[in-house]
Order: sequence, then structure tokens, then C-alpha cells
Amino acid sequence: MRVQLFATCLVDSLFPEVGEAVVEVLTRAGVETWFPPGQTCCGQPALNAGSRAEARALALQTLEALAAEDVVVVPSGSCAEMIRHRYPELLADLPDQLGRARRLAERTYEFSEFLVDQLLVAEFGASLPLLIGYHPSCHLLRGLGVDRQPLRLLEAIADASIERLSPECCGFGGIFSIEMPEISREMLERTLERIRSSGVEVVAGCDVSCLMQIEGGLRRAGSPVRCAHLAQLLVGRVAGLK
Amino acid sequence: MTLAFRERARSAIADSQLQRLLDQNADARQRARIEALQELPDAAELRQRARTIRQQVVFGLEAYLEKFATRLAENGIQIQRAANAAAANRLILEIVRRHKAELVAKSKSMLTEEIGLNAALEAAGIRPVETDLGEYIVQLRAEKPSHILTPALHLSIEDVAETFRSRLGVTLGDDVEQINAEARGRLRKVFLSAPVGITGVNFGVAETGTLCLVTNEGNGRMVATLPPVHIAVMGIERLVPTLDDLAVMLRLLPRFATGQSISSYVSLIHSPRRPGDPEGPSERHLILVDNGRSGLADTAAAEALLCIRCGACLNACPIFREAGGHAYDSVYAGPIGAVLSPALFGIRKYGHLAQASTLCGACTEACPVGIDIPGLLLDVRAQSEPKPLGRGIRLFSWVARSPSRFRWAQRVAAVGGRLLSRRAGWITQLPGPLAEWTRFRDFPPFSGRPLRSRLRRVSRPASERHPEIEPVEAATTTVEVVEPEDRPASFEARLKDLGGEVIRCAEFEAADRIVGQLHVLGAGRLLSWGPVEPILFTVLQRLEREGFPVVLPEVAEGPLGTPALRSFGEAKVGLTGAVAALADTGTLVLSGGSRRSLLPSLLPETHLAVLRSKDVYPDLERWLQAVGPAYVAGTSNLVLISGPSRTADIEMTLTVGVHGPRQLIVFLIE
Repeated sequence: MRVQLFATCLVDSLFPEVGEAVVEVLTRAGVETWFPPGQTCCGQPALNAGSRAEARALALQTLEALAAEDVVVVPSGSCAEMIRHRYPELLADLPDQLGRARRLAERTYEFSEFLVDQLLVAEFGASLPLLIGYHPSCHLLRGLGVDRQPLRLLEAIADASIERLSPECCGFGGIFSIEMPEISREMLERTLERIRSSGVEVVAGCDVSCLMQIEGGLRRAGSPVRCAHLAQLLVGRVAGLK
Repeated sequence: MTLAFRERARSAIADSQLQRLLDQNADARQRARIEALQELPDAAELRQRARTIRQQVVFGLEAYLEKFATRLAENGIQIQRAANAAAANRLILEIVRRHKAELVAKSKSMLTEEIGLNAALEAAGIRPVETDLGEYIVQLRAEKPSHILTPALHLSIEDVAETFRSRLGVTLGDDVEQINAEARGRLRKVFLSAPVGITGVNFGVAETGTLCLVTNEGNGRMVATLPPVHIAVMGIERLVPTLDDLAVMLRLLPRFATGQSISSYVSLIHSPRRPGDPEGPSERHLILVDNGRSGLADTAAAEALLCIRCGACLNACPIFREAGGHAYDSVYAGPIGAVLSPALFGIRKYGHLAQASTLCGACTEACPVGIDIPGLLLDVRAQSEPKPLGRGIRLFSWVARSPSRFRWAQRVAAVGGRLLSRRAGWITQLPGPLAEWTRFRDFPPFSGRPLRSRLRRVSRPASERHPEIEPVEAATTTVEVVEPEDRPASFEARLKDLGGEVIRCAEFEAADRIVGQLHVLGAGRLLSWGPVEPILFTVLQRLEREGFPVVLPEVAEGPLGTPALRSFGEAKVGLTGAVAALADTGTLVLSGGSRRSLLPSLLPETHLAVLRSKDVYPDLERWLQAVGPAYVAGTSNLVLISGPSRTADIEMTLTVGVHGPRQLIVFLIE
């Protein structure tokens, strides 16, 4: 089987280590992975900022970049949700593109969803004697309904104990984090408090955007706790996002 | 404009008392909603049905309105439609003036807040008095409600006691019961003397011309029953097609609003007082308010018209929890407010509220009719003027529209990042507007080698293949649907949960038990139904023999005068029968009519009711099926009573007996 990796702009630019871990996991799962070079950003920042025209242009570009018939794997709940739900809405008035958008939506999977629901694999041989907190990110949980899949994968890590953290927004929200920093800070504080009180040693998630907010807060607070994308844990890495 | 919300949110965050109250609200209401939903075995299906029902109405609105208006007119309710707030206020004012009213009793209605009715009445020299406890407190303070359901959410018990001290000159302890009793006494006078009562409407039923009012305190019932003129004010979109549809909504609204399986009082009103009715206003009016709603019909924002104003999205929203309702500076706060305010009152003034969201979707998850609030917020953002940051995002998007530009930008960012991060660690200080990020969190440096330059074109697996796992099924909670075999028993259990009492007795001993109970209560005077059935007949006969004072609200002609009402109001105990009861919610169904006054179930502190076990139905749906819509439509005022009157308007502290009875005792006859 061959899949296209839609890495997302954040993983590509800020957290290439996460992307490498994703490829490593997929390779171990017996899947050929390739990186379509035409990809950049899915357009979600533009959509969220109210710039529909730019969002549409990036949706069309992504459609083109991922035009091969291979399944698309996205290591982000938020960007996968954008492709699955918002692309068909954004392109609703372009009949020839709408069909392509729907077909892309059908063959696009978030990373953990792809492993558990499509490949039916969960064991990658990692062993981490740690208390791992799982942060259910909003678009993954509420937008895609993906929750048990990452937990299933985490539970397969030898020696690890898993705690699902309360599914409350970490306060990232894209430009919200800059436009409403005071509220974003309060929401982040609540998230950090949940992490502190649960005593988890590493925070796992499937969205580097949220993890970047959380690890940014943990580092500023001088906490030794680090975040890791699910893929990093599956290959036994816990040193933080990068 | 973003600054306005941001500034207000900033002061809300700095206010530790407000933060405590907001946390208290969010925690209590969320927990209550989730628990209340767990007892509904078919919650997902019900929500889908509710959504379909509301869509049917919103997409066929004019036809439903026409049907509804026809029914209302047939039943003698005077109906007028107002295109905007000014027109609505003018129509209401005309009616109030025609009756020379200087005092108006109001029950909580967000629509009247929306149209600014109180200000319009005051400008005309008329005194509107809010009678919902929370709304009364907010009115005393000359503030606006901070939550569509819990107007005084932002106030502590000490604030409320201080308000009573400074505005009313009464010194009370920081005690909800004392405040409650004071408000009850003061507002009772308003109910009994106001010539006009104004209420909102929770749902209108097109098929039957029903005005449905849902309240907990009983003030809504008072306002719609006691003053000689009742004006109901309703948004044009608040319809459901049939009574069965209403039953679906009534299952969801209280559960999503407060976590109750049903509110204390649900009134189904069909007409003004008819000949033979012991009470009720001689005139009922309905003002249908458009105020921008019909303009949304063909837009994506029509989705927002599905809203049934339960307030669940406010309670679920992490932004509301920090900023509080007043930060929105609109009658509609929270997630739905950030959609409704720009849609109804203008995007120029309220478009910026759409920025106040991380699009986390907690609102949609909490919405009984599944409104796609994040999607609607994106629409509002798309229609708003771009902000400076929005321009930054446009620049980023332009860069991203070419992979080679993107690659070049990655290199520049990596160099910039290296200059900013002193060691190889995360960046602690970003320049320009991005400094907002690093005020309280670090930022990761851009990688010198992005993923696209690290990966081989194709990563091929070794031959090994992993063992497959069993497919992981979604955790489905199967709730067993148990058909209550013993309906009276489940009615009894539910009513007791609500704080009511049930005394089971046989037919032959019922009259003894009731008279005995009256003596125990030391009732000075009994307000009662007439002798319409054997037990009541025997009770009334015995009381007459004993010389026990009994008042039967039965007035042949003309409106109920204040003196008559006052004498009714002095009765400590009320005695009624019941048309039916509903086992699943512990509900009594009472229908007004000759010798079956609704006042004994409303005015006294204690309400005694006689119920026969054969009249206990499993639920509202099945009772409606048994009697049929024509029966319901033929009543002038039908009320579902579930436990004593209650409120949790002050700091979520539940108290009973705020306006209606504080005690409900049902004699369940085997």
C-alpha cells in the first residue's frame, strides 16, 4: 500500500521530527509513504481569519498537490478536518472541483485514525515506563470524532500508563492566540493545571498546533513535562516536540 | 472593535469574584446537562428529530406562521406582527395605554430585552417590573442580564443582599431564602395589581395555536394568568409544527438548559379567559417580532434561527467562561450570541465577536439542535473587515500559494529564528504582533531542515508486516429502555426527586387523609376546585360541616378584581384534582375551566392534588396520543406541574417557593 503524507505546514516547517516519526511508523506498518512536493498549507489559517479567497486558492492548490489516487495521511486532526469537512463547503460552487474535493475528503485520514481503523495496527514495540497524558484536541475529537484510536495506540505502548486529559480547548485557536491573548492564556493555564494535577510526565496529542501552545506554556513555566506527537511516542521518543 | 471585547474580557479576567461565579456556572450546568442526557436512552435520535423539526419551520416559516396566526385568531388571541423593534414597542405600548396601565408585570423574555421594551415603556411613563428573580435583581441594579437563562450569573449572594439594601432599603442577611422571601412578597403585589402582564413565548405550536411557556419560578404563570391583559411577545421563528414536535422540544430544552428532566411549569395557552373560566386575562395578545429574522431566511445564517435559547452553548464555551456575558455587550452573549448579534443587529457593530472563539466546537456539542456555530462564526469572519492580523495571514497564504516561495520563506524564518533563540532552545521573545505569543509561552524555532528536505521521495517498508488488531468499536453506551411497569411508582419516585410528596391512599380513606392534612398544615383558609369529582365532593362537604373556611374561585362575569385575587392569595393551601400525570417526569397535568381553577395550584404556599393511579401515563407523548391534539387545543390554559416552584438564580443555589407553591403534596388514589 502507498500513501501520500500531507505533513501540514507546521510539521514541515517547525516540527520535521514529528513528520519523520510519522513516516517511520507508517513504514513499520508496512506502508509506502511519499511526500507530494506541491503541498504547503491546507488553508485553514486563511479560512479562520475570514480570508475565503485565499483559503479557496490553497484548497485548490492542495487538491492539485494531492491529486494522486493514493490515500492521504495527515498528522493533524485540525488539518484533516479542514480537508474532510471544510473543503467541500469552500468549493461548493465549483462543480468540477467539488467532486474532486469530495473524493479527496473520502480518502483522507488523520494519522491515528488511519492506523487503527484502516490498517488495524496498534503495536509498534515501543516501551516507555511513563505516565502519559493524552490531550484530546478539539477538531480531532469533535470535528472528526476520533478519540478511541489514539488511546488504543497509546495503550499498546509497553510499560506506559495512559491518562486521558479532560477534553477542554487548550486556548490555541490559530490567530485567536494572538488576537485574544488574555483569554488564550487563561485557557492555557487551565490546561497546564490539569497536566500538573494529573502528574503526567509527558503530554501526547495528534495536533502539533495545540501541543505547541501547551509545550510553549510548560517551558515558560519551567516545567520538565514535554509534549510529543503520538507518532513520536510510538517510535519511543519523548524528548519534546523537537 | 476587537479591542472592545478584548478590553472587557481583560477586566472580567482580573475580577476574581466574577471568575469564581463563571466557573461555578460552567461546572454546575455542564455536569447537570451531561447527567440529564444520560437518562435519555435515545438522546442522539431526539436531537436529530429536534433539528429536523426546527429546520422544517425555518425553511417553511411563512406557511407555518399563517397557520399559527389563523388558529390564534380562531381562539380569540389578538395577533399582530412587528417588522422591527420600534414597531413592536409601539404595538405593545398601544395596548398598555389603551388599558391605562401604569404598571406592567413582566416575566423573563430575552426578546423584550432585544427590542428594548423596558426603556420604551419607561419613556412613556409606564413602570415595567421584572418578576423572574434573577431578572428582578438585574433590573434593580439597572444592569443587563449576563446570561440568557441566568441573568444574575455575574452577582454573588453578597452583591444581591447589597442591592436589596441600597435599592429597596431592606437589610437582609447573605441568605438566599431571605432574599427569596422578600422578593416573593414584593412581587406578589405586582402580580395582583398590574393591569397588564407581558411574557415571552418558548414555543408556538402551529397546528393547535398553542403558546408554550416554560418556567421554574411560577412567575410566568402568574403574569400570563393574573393581570386582566396578557401580551405575549415572540420571535417569528419560535414555532414547531405540532404538539408531538413540542413534546420532543420539551424533552430537550430543560435538560440542555438546567439539566432538569422538565421545568417546574410548562403552560400551554390557547385563548383568553372564556365564559366559565374562573381566571385568566380577558384579553390576550401575541406580538410576533421579526427584527431581522426573515432577512436571514435565505442565507447561511438561517441555521442560527434553529436556536431554542437554552443557553447550553454559553455554559459549554471556554471563552464565555473567561469573559462572561457582559463582555459581548449584546443581549445575546456566548457562542450563539457571537452569531446572532451580527446577524440581527449588524456586522459592523458585532462582527468582531466572531473573533472570540477558538472554533473548538464545544458549543455545537452542547447544542440540542446541533447548530454549526463554528461554521457560522467563520461566515461572520469572512464578512468582516480584515484585521491587521488577518492581513498577516493573507501574506502567509500568498507565500503558501507557491511551494517555491514557501521553501524560501522557511529558510528566511529559520535564519530569523536562530537570531531570536539564543541557545538552540525555544524562542522567548518574538517581534511585532507576534510578541503577544511570547508574553506567556515560548515559541519553537523554525527548522533549518524542514521535513520536505529531509524525506526521501518514497519511504519503502521492510518486508515485515504487523499483526492486525481487532477493530476498535466506538464506545456505545446502551441504555436499557425499561418500560415502567408500575407507572404510579415511577411517578412517585420522580416527584419525590423534585421535592414533592406523594401520599398513597385508597378511595374510601382519601377524604379523611386530605382533611387530616389540612389540619396538620394549620391552614387558615383553603382555595379549592369545586366538587367536580367524588373525593373533592366529600372533602368540601366535610369542611363545610366543620366550618373550615373554603374559597372557590368562581366568578361569573367580568375580570377578576384585585380584591378577589387578594383574598385568594391569602389562602395558605390550594386543593385541586388533575387531568393526568406523567410517570417519566413526575408531572401533574392540570387544565383550567369551570370549577377547575388553576389558582389553587399557583397562589398558595402549599398545593394539594388528588390524582387517580389510572390517570398516570408513561410520558407526555403518550398522554398526547391518548387525548389527541383537538382536546389540548380546546383548553384555554393547560399546565404541566413538576414539583414545587424553584429557582437557582442566585449563585446556583436551589430554593423552592419563589413565586408558586413551596410544597406540593399529591394524594395518589389506588
